Amino acid sequence: VALRPLGTPAARAKNPFRKGFVTVVRSRRLLGGFSRLAIVRRGVLVRLVAVGLAAAAVASAVAYFVPWLPTPASKQADRIDFVFWFVTGISIAIFALVVAVILYSVARFRAGPDDDSDGAPIHGNTTLEIAWTAVPAVLVTAVAVVSAVALAQNEHLPKNHLQVNVLAQQFAWSFSYPKYKGLTVSALHLPLDETVELKMHSKDVIHSFWVPQFGQKQDLVPGITTRVVITPKRLGTYPVVCTELCGEGHALMRSEAIVMKPTAFAAWVKAQERAAASASQGPSGAGPGLAVFNSNGCSGCHTFKPAGSSATTGPDLDNLPAYARRAGKPLALFVRESIVDPNAYIEKGYQPNIMPSTFKSLPKQQLDALVQFLTGGKK
Amino acid sequence: VTSATAAHEELHAGAAPPPHGWRRLLAPGWLRVPWMSALFFGIGLGITLLVRWAEGWHPIWDGQVITTVELTAVPFGFLAGIGGFDYWVRYAIGSPTRPEDHSGHGAYSWRDYFRINTDHKVIGVQYLVTTIFFFLAAGLTAMIMRAELARPGMQYVGNQVFNELFSVHAALMIFLFIIPAFAGLGNYVIPLMIGAPDMAFPRLNALSFWLLPVAGLIMLSSFIVPGFGCGWTGYAPLCSTHQELGAVFFNMGVQWAGASSIMTALNFLVTIITMRAPGMTFWRMPLLVWANFTTSLLVVIATPFIAGSQFMSMFDHIMHTNFFNYEAGGYVLGYQHIFWFYSHPAVYIMMLPGFGIASEVISTFARKPIFGYRLMALSLMAILVLGFSVWAHHMFVSGMAPWLRVPMMVTSVVIAVPTGIKVFSWLATLWEGKLNFSTPMLFALGFVSMFVIGGLSGIYLAAVPIDIHVSDTYFVVAHIHYVLFGGSLFTIFAGIYYWFPKMTGRMYDERLGKLHFWLTFIGFNATFFPMHYLGIQGMPRRVSDYAPRFADLNFFISIASFFLGASTLVFLYNMIVSWARGAPAPGNPWRAHTLEWQVSSPPPVFNFDEIPQVVGGPYEYGVPGARHAVFNGDRVVEEEEVKV
Repeated sequence: VALRPLGTPAARAKNPFRKGFVTVVRSRRLLGGFSRLAIVRRGVLVRLVAVGLAAAAVASAVAYFVPWLPTPASKQADRIDFVFWFVTGISIAIFALVVAVILYSVARFRAGPDDDSDGAPIHGNTTLEIAWTAVPAVLVTAVAVVSAVALAQNEHLPKNHLQVNVLAQQFAWSFSYPKYKGLTVSALHLPLDETVELKMHSKDVIHSFWVPQFGQKQDLVPGITTRVVITPKRLGTYPVVCTELCGEGHALMRSEAIVMKPTAFAAWVKAQERAAASASQGPSGAGPGLAVFNSNGCSGCHTFKPAGSSATTGPDLDNLPAYARRAGKPLALFVRESIVDPNAYIEKGYQPNIMPSTFKSLPKQQLDALVQFLTGGKK
Repeated sequence: VTSATAAHEELHAGAAPPPHGWRRLLAPGWLRVPWMSALFFGIGLGITLLVRWAEGWHPIWDGQVITTVELTAVPFGFLAGIGGFDYWVRYAIGSPTRPEDHSGHGAYSWRDYFRINTDHKVIGVQYLVTTIFFFLAAGLTAMIMRAELARPGMQYVGNQVFNELFSVHAALMIFLFIIPAFAGLGNYVIPLMIGAPDMAFPRLNALSFWLLPVAGLIMLSSFIVPGFGCGWTGYAPLCSTHQELGAVFFNMGVQWAGASSIMTALNFLVTIITMRAPGMTFWRMPLLVWANFTTSLLVVIATPFIAGSQFMSMFDHIMHTNFFNYEAGGYVLGYQHIFWFYSHPAVYIMMLPGFGIASEVISTFARKPIFGYRLMALSLMAILVLGFSVWAHHMFVSGMAPWLRVPMMVTSVVIAVPTGIKVFSWLATLWEGKLNFSTPMLFALGFVSMFVIGGLSGIYLAAVPIDIHVSDTYFVVAHIHYVLFGGSLFTIFAGIYYWFPKMTGRMYDERLGKLHFWLTFIGFNATFFPMHYLGIQGMPRRVSDYAPRFADLNFFISIASFFLGASTLVFLYNMIVSWARGAPAPGNPWRAHTLEWQVSSPPPVFNFDEIPQVVGGPYEYGVPGARHAVFNGDRVVEEEEVKV
């Protein structure tokens, strides 16, 4: 390709620094009509496109064969996935273009070992510069529009929906259902195909609620209520992950989201209500203790059969008598001490400083009830 | 007598003789540092105790308060001891200031690099060596993190230590490496590029360098205190009220580093505006000068915001104010708004100088003018303006006002347009060039390709629905490293290799340079590309432990990161050995047109023996008879030729 600056050599020598050093192409076969744009010959263009297509093919293969996205389990995740692939399509095109030009240039325009000459003095091309300002502007506008639409759809909340209140604290989750007399549990149970609005609070620092398969994420901020909308569409058990650094136990702040058939969900609610009722009428007076256990999020970290919890962040409370023996203390005293001063005794295999020390501020009555519940009335 | 010693003696003729005996304790330098620091420690302690006693605050001896005050007092003692304030203090109290004998100019032995020095070239080298030290320290913390993450479960460090590792890693890399490394390169090169003898305020320049070791040591000491485990973002209320004293070390470290970068930025602005050589119009400035001009504007406008956010966080911690304490009516999200109003522009503070370096290197090694020079400069200004309108894209899931998300998404994707212009212009600059693949060029091309990946993943993050899914995951970790490692660090390497001959007067080893590039390029991609996948699949960031299903990929990433870490050793070896024993460098080894290459390597103490006259653009490669600048001597020669 022959590029030649405009003007006679004499004129250039006279004033070589004037702006807009326009170039034209002297080529036998110009790209039809666009002589200003045509700084590349057709043969060059064909090779460039070939390299670009190869790069696009590789990028597309990586995009297609690697299972990038978790299997969506909510309607919101479907829309997020759509936006993801929309942006990926655009990205592959741009990436391929850049790679093609770099690879082609590296191969084609490499200077020889003793070649001290300069390249073509091309200062710019207004048409080209306008094109690569306008085309990306259009593309990103499309991304913004698609995203805004998906966002609006994802946050649409139908009149008939289930509300769940989420409470986060260092380092546990608890979920309560106002519709079912404030039933409080440590794992999120949801009925299939029913839109749910999570209203979220935090007790201490900022946490963030995320279920990768639902695609939805929202911070829980102390002092304000945040919300997120989820419509589960696939049965299964998914991880609930805290994604905002919340302190020492951040990596352990996990729970589960369980999507159930509506009938199974109704049965689960009934069973939970029955368990709560029988507990409050039981001879050991577990009722108030269970309530304290649930409302303070104990079930978010500890397994304890009487409360029906199965979390494994902290020690299994069904083994409390064994721990007390190892600590060399009477059971009730040991349990009370472990609640108000969690670092006093650390069971082997667990770490200090994970359980918050905020429970020392529990009212005495509640603390008594909790100890009573955990020890089953034993000393 | 070598010529350097001769020049030294000539410059120092008439200066007061160096002090002897105990008077050496009074002279600025390392002998004055210990007792001045102790003195200021005592003053800080005294004032604190006096105020607490007078106000009746108990306990009068409060370790936290005293430590916080001393984090201000002792550095002042250090700076006073090393001589950072001598001239101003003498001037202010009416003592005769030392005559301008330029004794603080130029470096004649390695010891001069450890003194207060007003020569921008010495300061530039001081900056670079210091920042590389902190780069290695921060890299080491990353290695420990990757060792812990190689297998699920806990192996080497506890949760809190892990949190401190990644917090200090980011804080050092950002505040003590990338930002000041660019300031160091700019410090060395900018006055030379615009044809100035030095920066506008040499004493301020020296002071802003000496703030850096202070800031870095404070941040590193947060390990010892301990307690800075709340991330470099320092979100309230975790950092303001739920951390131990170490968090205050971060707050104060940021203040010192921030003060340093504001002072340097002001210096750059005044230098670039007022000290350009005759004929150096704004449209004839090299793009690195443009980039530093824009960056400096960003710094002076934005940095006070992070200073404010860190003060408020620290006051909540130490003085029990309630800026971010919701129980007393504080506004938790306020911290994030103020923080990101700095920290998003900070992304461009960490990127625009890299754009400048890439432009210099690509133009020189492609032997072609920069394609669309004016649009390149204008796109920098566009990024500057737009950069202030996108901060809340870091907060799409934060619980801020929901309506704010779509406008912030629009500005965030629009800022990709000027960035795209720059990438396409670099590509067009390659076209029809005569490409020389020296190490700086390899790093510049590596930068362009890696930065494109980082920019594209930025589009994913700007699109609100995708961001909601991947926010605070390893996808973000991958993105930030493609931008700050593939972007900033690659251009810092390109810049160091490019100007190494100018700075040291010696050539680096080209084979080792290329080896370093390829090891870095491969190690970088192997380390960070798989993180995209981890994040999308469900691995949150900032965790010491993770689900077992991510174990294999994390193991691979850890191995790759050790490989990447080892590649730095090649760089260090090359730099140290070449600096000591490399082949002498000619004045202009790259046949570049910009002014810094028109003087000897290293340049004379005052840069130009005669002020150049700028007559054209900086990148007129291939234009017959084109000159960027002429020197008086040249004109005489030309006139004589005409006469003949």
